[in-house]
Amino acid sequence: MTNEFIALAVPGLLVLSAVFLLLFGLSSHYTKNRGYYITLGTLVVSFLISASGVSEKHSMDLLPGIFNSMLVYDTFGATFISLFLLGGFFTLAIAKSFIDSTDYFTHESFVLLLLSLFGMVVLSMANELITAFISLEIASMSVYILVGLNRDSLKASEAFFKYLLLGSFAASFYLLGMMFIYAQAKSTNLDIIAHYVLSTDIHSQLLIIAGSMLIMITIMFKIASVPFGAWVLDVYEGASLPITAYMAGVFKIAVFAFALRMFLLDYIQFEAYYDILIIGGALVTMVGGSLLAIIQNSVKKMLAASSVVHSGYLLIAFASTSEDTSGAASAIIFYLFAYFISAIGAFGVLSYISQGSAKTINYDDLNGLARTNPIIAASLTVFMLSLAGFPSTIGFIGKFYIFTSAIEAGYTLFAIFGAITAFISIYYYFKVIMHLYFKENPHMKVHYGYKISFAFIVLSAFTVLWGGVGTSLLFNLPGINALNELARFAIESLAM
Amino acid sequence: MSSLSLIIFLPILAALFLFLKRLNITVVKVIYMLVTFTVLYLSLELYINFDPEASMQFVVLHPWISEYGINYHVGVDGVSLGIVMMNAILMPLVAIALYKQRDKKGYWINLLFVQGGVMGAALSLDLMLFYLFWEIMLLPIFFMIGLFGYGKKNFIAMKFNIYTILGSLMMLISILYIAVAYKEQFGSYSFALDELKDLRLSSGESLLVFGGFMLAFAIKIPIFPFHTWLSDTYRSAPTGIVIVMSSLMAKLGTYAIWRFLFTMFSETSHEVAPYFIGLGLFGLIYFGISAMSQTHLKRMFALSSASHLSLIVVGFFIYDIYGLIGSSYLIVSHALSSAAIFLMAGMLYERTDTYSIAMLGGIARIAPKFALFFAFFSLSIVGIPLTSGFVAEVLIILGAFHYNIYVGFIAATSILIAMMFMFRMISRVLYGELRDATAGFEDLRMHELFALVPLALLILAMGIFPNYFIQKIEPTASSYTSQKEAPSYDK
Repeated sequence: MTNEFIALAVPGLLVLSAVFLLLFGLSSHYTKNRGYYITLGTLVVSFLISASGVSEKHSMDLLPGIFNSMLVYDTFGATFISLFLLGGFFTLAIAKSFIDSTDYFTHESFVLLLLSLFGMVVLSMANELITAFISLEIASMSVYILVGLNRDSLKASEAFFKYLLLGSFAASFYLLGMMFIYAQAKSTNLDIIAHYVLSTDIHSQLLIIAGSMLIMITIMFKIASVPFGAWVLDVYEGASLPITAYMAGVFKIAVFAFALRMFLLDYIQFEAYYDILIIGGALVTMVGGSLLAIIQNSVKKMLAASSVVHSGYLLIAFASTSEDTSGAASAIIFYLFAYFISAIGAFGVLSYISQGSAKTINYDDLNGLARTNPIIAASLTVFMLSLAGFPSTIGFIGKFYIFTSAIEAGYTLFAIFGAITAFISIYYYFKVIMHLYFKENPHMKVHYGYKISFAFIVLSAFTVLWGGVGTSLLFNLPGINALNELARFAIESLAM
Repeated sequence: MSSLSLIIFLPILAALFLFLKRLNITVVKVIYMLVTFTVLYLSLELYINFDPEASMQFVVLHPWISEYGINYHVGVDGVSLGIVMMNAILMPLVAIALYKQRDKKGYWINLLFVQGGVMGAALSLDLMLFYLFWEIMLLPIFFMIGLFGYGKKNFIAMKFNIYTILGSLMMLISILYIAVAYKEQFGSYSFALDELKDLRLSSGESLLVFGGFMLAFAIKIPIFPFHTWLSDTYRSAPTGIVIVMSSLMAKLGTYAIWRFLFTMFSETSHEVAPYFIGLGLFGLIYFGISAMSQTHLKRMFALSSASHLSLIVVGFFIYDIYGLIGSSYLIVSHALSSAAIFLMAGMLYERTDTYSIAMLGGIARIAPKFALFFAFFSLSIVGIPLTSGFVAEVLIILGAFHYNIYVGFIAATSILIAMMFMFRMISRVLYGELRDATAGFEDLRMHELFALVPLALLILAMGIFPNYFIQKIEPTASSYTSQKEAPSYDK
């Protein structure tokens, strides 16, 4: 497959499938199961196509004649595209039991899921600010609606409106920032801006600095960094569990993908201006997220709050990026993968045991799960350990990369701060484990059925463990080394 | 697979297998026995093939995360051999003693898991690998306290967990810091112990890094101000894991001081040695005196064990060949004695349902065998002649006198203090009037004897023929003290 084919086929397939489902949903042959499997199938096929683009380093303008350098397909994009598709696939696969037991997953929800993935795919290829904005909005709009999917729930409607209003408001900062940048650099193309930034005296680039700062606010909003992330608890709480997982795991990756590309290409020159801001943001994000996570009683809210903390770790790595080494940037990619697989697994377990009910799952609802469903409890334990950064899980390796790159960039104090945050997180993650294993449950064993959901939860747990200890010496499976190499290739292809 | 890797991973894999398979509890126990005896066999083989003249042996090296220079790198030398042997000997004996009482699958799975973790931590020569096992070891302990503990077990499991992880995370940052510093000086990351010792850090930096490591070790041992988790945890933990904590985990902390801090920060270690000797001596007396006033049997043993661990720390930090040998000898001998005494405390509890010293008494009258072993193990902790503890303590105290006469003097009082609380305890528990709790006290059963007799024989053997055991440690120890003059030690 040529790279051009891959780059066109993946978004094309997603849109086609979405349109098809939109029409097919109205026919009498449509059942929820069919819609589900069509979506799943689309994701598998497009993942297989996109995965063939990650193996080597490459970079090219996509059909410059038509798109005028708006899109670029490189290993970076390919890696992220594969990540989104994998993430979408896992979310959907684990959510099977949840989807079947609720009635609000209509055919539109599958269409929206596919469209949001389409938006993210284009976003990760976007090499130009307007394209990026449009694709970001395609993705965001779809996610807004997915949040409010459950029309009967007041909470979901509240979450929907909150997210929609605040999200649109935040997006306007992006537009303003883009305008500033255009005013000075006379272009919205990232390469041209980068060229301008490099060839001009830094002190005369006031508008570009201000503009990128505004864009950064939008990014901070989307990744729910404190203080722009005030929406996160209510929205995550209101959305149904699979959608929360999707937002926390997959959508966040997409925002980071664009932020990384923009930052590494254009603004690495301004490091001195931004690092302090980003570091400050990282600190308040970690502190705020930790405080929020500690006081939660509902496991879902705790996971939502802790996802804020994880954004904080990522911001530390962000501040540690530099021109010389790809270490910090590839640490971000690795951590995104690590977080996504652990978070999707954790949310997946919640949605698996909630069986579609809108009931909030408190810590007490997990009591005694270890006795009734040992494998599910063990998987949830693995996810918690990974989120807490316990060794032998992929989350630890992710933190290891991030802290190493922070120390290398001279931010030893922030690495220590990150370690302390991780230490605090031990409390709320181990609380889950404690409830799973040490508390007696009043319930009898529940048969949840649903082999698909079960299988994918176990598969994610295995991935988490393999990503923590894996080596190609055993079973000839690609281990940590291979994943790390993938992330490095992706970053290096940016400079090509 | 090399025998070292087998020793590490066989128990872990067996634990995973047992977790995933639904088996009858008898089968679980049989598998546990098979695995631990295989490990014991492999360790004995290791012990016999161990060449006392060479330092690091049976080294296995595989790349793991190559970009960061992290390897699967294990090997054994005179000191880690001691820990490996302890671990291999104690685990099957614990099982024999508790064979009848523990009918929960999780108990045995966690014990297997912890055995593998301790083996891994003792044998690792790569810092990341060490960190991995060091942390993994914590999980089974956490689960054991929470699942099978007594009292406010959830709270205590959590407290223990959080406390130790704080130390570990600071150690992690230290590890990363030296790896990055190594990259700046030599061009690539490395976590290998024998490469990192070439690293040169400024004295301020190396003090901070040293502090990060030391915090982790000091919490696990525990050294004086970091002991607040100790008595609760020991009191609440089930017998199997108390033995693991006092005989293996704490010893691993002292071992790690030697293995990592003395190797990598030889100069800093020398600089801070007086402070740690001071802390150790203070802890020794402080824990000893606290032990005297305890009414709870298990807490008393916990504090007495902490007191001896402080002595081990002192022995290491005086940097004297006698001190080093004595400390590593005490690691082994105290592990044996305290494992035995905690086993017996568990048996006592199972028979009387109380740990309160005040409620016990007169056991010697109706259970002579129990009384004999109980007294013997208690005294072996104190270090009466003919037991292994005596040899070890004499060596440490000799070393302490070499270092400084006052240090030697205070170290020597430790035996006195230990005598005081042990004799007091023995007289109350074994002699005097029979109480309600001890009436009808059943003497040792056959399987309990099977577990205790080997321990007693080993303690006697190590006390009567110390040379045979010390010759395995001596070359390793002397390679560290020679370092004092010329700070380069070659493998």
